[in-house]
Amino acid sequence: MPEITSRRGLLFGAAAVSAGALLTGCTSNEPSDSKDEPAGNNQPAADDKPGKQVTIGFAGPQADHGWLNAINDNAKSRAEKYSDVTLEITEGSNDTAQQIGQIETLINKKVDVLVVLPADGKALTQVGLKAMRAGIPVVNLDRIFNTPQAYRCWIGGDNYGMGLNAGHYIGEKLKGKSDARVIELAGLDNLELTKQRTQGFDDALKNYPNIRKVARQAAEFTVESGQAKMAQLLQAQSKFDALWNHDDDQGVGALRAIEQAGRDDFLMVGGAGALSAFQAIKQDDGVLKATVLYPPTMAASAIDLARALGQGKGIGGMAEFEIPASITLYSAVVDKTNVDQYMPTGFR
Amino acid sequence: MTQPVSPPRDSSTDKVPAVQPPAWRGLMARADVRTLSLLGVLAALVLIGGITKPDEFLDTRNLQLVLTQASVIGVVTVGMTFVIVSGGIDLSVGAIVALASVWATTVATQEYGFAGILFTAVVVGVGCGLVNGVLIAYGAMVPFIATLAMLASARGLALQITDGKTQIVTVPSVLDLGERDAYVLGIPPLVLVFAVVTVIGWLVLNRTTFGRRTVAVGGNPEAARLAGIDVRRQRLYLYLLSGLCCGIAAFLLIVLSGSGQNTNGNLYELDAIAAAIIGGTLLTGGRGTITGSVLGVLIFTTITNIFALNNLQSDVQQIAKGAIIVAAVLVQRRTASTT
Amino acid sequence: MASEPPLLSMSGITKSFPGVRALDGVDLDVLAGEVHCLLGQNGAGKSTLIKVLAGAHQPDTGTIRWRGEGVTLRSPIAAMRLGIATIYQELDLVEHLSVAENVHLGHEPTAAGFVVRGKAAKESTAVLLKRLGHAEIDPARLVGELSAAQQQIVSMARALSHDVRLIVMDEPSAALDPDEVDNLFRIVGDLTAAGVAVVYISHRLEEIRRIGDRVTVLKDGRAVANGLPAKSTPTREVVALMTGRNVEYVFPDRPVSPPPGEPVLKVQGLSRQGEFETLDLEVRPGEIVGLAGLVGSGRSEILETVYGARKPTAGQVLVDGRALKPGSVRAAVRAGLGLAPEERKAQALLMLESVTRNVSVSSMSRFSRGGWIDRGAELGAARAATRELSLRPDNPSVPVRTLSGGNQQKAVLARWLLRGCKVLLLDEPTRGVDVGARAELYAVIRRLADEGLAVLLVSSEVPEVLGLADRVLVLREGRVVHTAPARQLDEHRVLDLVMEGSPAS
Repeated sequence: MPEITSRRGLLFGAAAVSAGALLTGCTSNEPSDSKDEPAGNNQPAADDKPGKQVTIGFAGPQADHGWLNAINDNAKSRAEKYSDVTLEITEGSNDTAQQIGQIETLINKKVDVLVVLPADGKALTQVGLKAMRAGIPVVNLDRIFNTPQAYRCWIGGDNYGMGLNAGHYIGEKLKGKSDARVIELAGLDNLELTKQRTQGFDDALKNYPNIRKVARQAAEFTVESGQAKMAQLLQAQSKFDALWNHDDDQGVGALRAIEQAGRDDFLMVGGAGALSAFQAIKQDDGVLKATVLYPPTMAASAIDLARALGQGKGIGGMAEFEIPASITLYSAVVDKTNVDQYMPTGFR
Repeated sequence: MTQPVSPPRDSSTDKVPAVQPPAWRGLMARADVRTLSLLGVLAALVLIGGITKPDEFLDTRNLQLVLTQASVIGVVTVGMTFVIVSGGIDLSVGAIVALASVWATTVATQEYGFAGILFTAVVVGVGCGLVNGVLIAYGAMVPFIATLAMLASARGLALQITDGKTQIVTVPSVLDLGERDAYVLGIPPLVLVFAVVTVIGWLVLNRTTFGRRTVAVGGNPEAARLAGIDVRRQRLYLYLLSGLCCGIAAFLLIVLSGSGQNTNGNLYELDAIAAAIIGGTLLTGGRGTITGSVLGVLIFTTITNIFALNNLQSDVQQIAKGAIIVAAVLVQRRTASTT
Repeated sequence: MASEPPLLSMSGITKSFPGVRALDGVDLDVLAGEVHCLLGQNGAGKSTLIKVLAGAHQPDTGTIRWRGEGVTLRSPIAAMRLGIATIYQELDLVEHLSVAENVHLGHEPTAAGFVVRGKAAKESTAVLLKRLGHAEIDPARLVGELSAAQQQIVSMARALSHDVRLIVMDEPSAALDPDEVDNLFRIVGDLTAAGVAVVYISHRLEEIRRIGDRVTVLKDGRAVANGLPAKSTPTREVVALMTGRNVEYVFPDRPVSPPPGEPVLKVQGLSRQGEFETLDLEVRPGEIVGLAGLVGSGRSEILETVYGARKPTAGQVLVDGRALKPGSVRAAVRAGLGLAPEERKAQALLMLESVTRNVSVSSMSRFSRGGWIDRGAELGAARAATRELSLRPDNPSVPVRTLSGGNQQKAVLARWLLRGCKVLLLDEPTRGVDVGARAELYAVIRRLADEGLAVLLVSSEVPEVLGLADRVLVLREGRVVHTAPARQLDEHRVLDLVMEGSPAS
């Protein structure tokens, strides 16, 4: 199971969750004033019929970038859909001590279920245990606690799977091309998730003996670093066939560098599932051909799971009476063929 | 106090010596030992780059790339050098760059086009500098604290403006400046701005009363005050200047990355301070050169470039960066003490 | 005595710094229980020698024998372990720690090896302070709150808190009043009686006569005389050894009649709470007015308040009849005032900068247009100003830190000369200036006055005030107790006035 300490997580591609995605056209760069209703899907885990009233406590980190912002929006709008759900949401914080305090407050308020996206999974394990011992089931979102005892159900993305799927996608595209060269623009190197993504990517490429990874540089998930590192990579590699970029936000910078260098002789695959990436894929006039998801809709699913836990229900479409102990989302590849379906889940 | 037993040597700039020394000697004496040692480090790096990656490194495109990448942090470092020479510190530069870059790329601002973006970036930069300056000069706050507070607030405000989202620039005239073949006077526009800021910075520090006052305030604020210098007003101007440089840098960053993001300018404060320090600026104030700081920036950027071209990973890059800082400071101390 | 080896024997000590040979084969023998005086002009090598002795500098060559055995003083700690303690002129105390904490810094009495026993430290500190005749200093007070003299006592207590056999005192009397000097000498007497050796550095020959046993004279990094009898060697001989020539304090001639004209500087009812009260004085162009008083009489505070560096609680300062904005240095400078402060390095000089820049700093607008400096004009003007004052070396491009004390003072004077100021405020103008260079500085000051400058002079050395000033104001506890032409006063009379507050016939 991948351990996630994502600082800037990515999208996921849970087909189930995003299936009936609704709302928000968001097809242009023009920001709309209306609060976009985020992605989510129409099919709640248990069922839509109002049941027992459930109070869900939600604690997440500070929404200092697009993906985390989308996490909050997904959770909120999902909760609003249910007349039987009351959401107690805390001010996001990256400070471990502060987040512990917030969760303890929620425990004291005796919420029925907790959804926690920890700023730091390891550091918040104790407070997760505390909640569980107090009889409050915890849905652990994305960044995993140290021990399964600290949560009732974990739901999160699959970093290794992202790399794997990106590698397979590129491998299939370059099939038959002899001596194909691939480069990788990784995310922040001191995060474990970056290592997992690279590992998955490398493992996938092993299936394609005609492909060789010739370069890898790590950016910092920011536009600025994406531009800087990509510019250097382009200078270093005068010819290559494909690029995998771990993150669509830094991808904005990477695409800028590619444009500045006047290069269009390769295909690029992104990661996460930002709206700008979806739009570029749809337009299909640049190097970006696909992106691998790490979906923020997981927050909506977490609300669904929390509601089902609070009402003592299972997941619709599964034989079990109980909610599973862990759900790893699938890192779907979005390309031109299916981008319309995912467009509403894209985050800014 | 020890005093030279022999009369102090002439520094050769004014006295006409009896025997005219060879021209290169005069040049050597004029150019600071520190500057020469930095040039030596840079030359060594160029050699390493040229040996390891002759085709990719020794290429005009690559030169252009290095200078372009250096331009944003370079402009910030020029402002930072002034502040440090005056005995202060500005920890808020990265946050000001972030705030200026996102404020200048909001939908509302972009409607005003090129001028709107440039104007907003500069005004936000200067505005933040003004707040820093007033707090430090007239509020008697320690620069470290005042600019630390600005760092936090400006980052927070930048986040509030963007909501964590990336603001894509859609104004063509702005984007065009960052394109591959955009040249002004045969130079990429970003590099030109960097060069102009450097030259102006050098002139202001070395040839104007403003520069003199800056050095005096940093070298001995009490002596400066008793010599009749308005120390507080000078401090105010210095933080304004740093803010102005941040505003210009923010505009360059917008051009370069084609966007504004609240994560922009991450850790610029440390990069700028590091470049100034290896450039020979005293952290305690009273001495520093623009030339040294800019060479410091170029050294760091060149290292990054060489590492990227050789596909070395960021862990190695960081270790090397730390080692270079220590080595440069040690080399300088050695050369300074033996001459 | 002769059979026993000296307590300390240094021989052939050399020490070079880049470009300077600070010590060139110096010998020094110190016997247990003696006061060995070290004499020499600034830059003669005294400071370097005592730093070698304190383990702060390593000699390039030479040997050090301690009680007959060769030793290497690798660090200040090594020197301290042998029993060598140094009291530096610039006191090395931590202002934010208490007296007791400073005294025991680095060797705190501890329980279980690391728990500081604060009470024991305070008690032993109190004992030491009492021994030093300053039982009134509370060991719990912060050192920063103490006077300079009291801080010196603390520094001495720190030295004595070790098992000390040799104490080096670097100009210990410089910051002290006469009665405090007496106490210092009593302490030195007690120490030597107990067999402790004292290496005593001072500029003041009369002190050396009072307490010294033997004298070693340094000049240009060499010991030009070793172990002269302190009491019987003629002054002339000592001065000649130090300077290489025969000099005495020579004061320039005064003008025969007081200069005519309206006062350029008028101070009316100037007061600062707790420092000085209702001060009135006038200085005419060409006149030197001296303020005489003890440490703590408010002398420096008066000058700094006149200059606007401190804000008065009452009264005003007028230049050419116009009142200055109170508490504004810039207003004072614009009106034509210039200050040569007491602490030249801390308050006047930009030590990293050249002489030129130090001289031009207050007149930059004269060489600049639109903020742009004409460096040629600047250099020329600085050269002219420094030449007029015979500043050595005759090269304004050298760093000001390489100058001697007297020449640094000239650089400060040149700053105001260049500025074209009308009133010069001099605070201890010869502090840290060699004996040989003083006469020249006096002549410079008088010449500036003769050229029409008004000078207000403060000095703790009464002969200097009497010799240089035209008119003297005697201060006591922040009030003027007597005003008279300098020629009508003598040192004895002034001392009576400052001690007693009234002329003792």
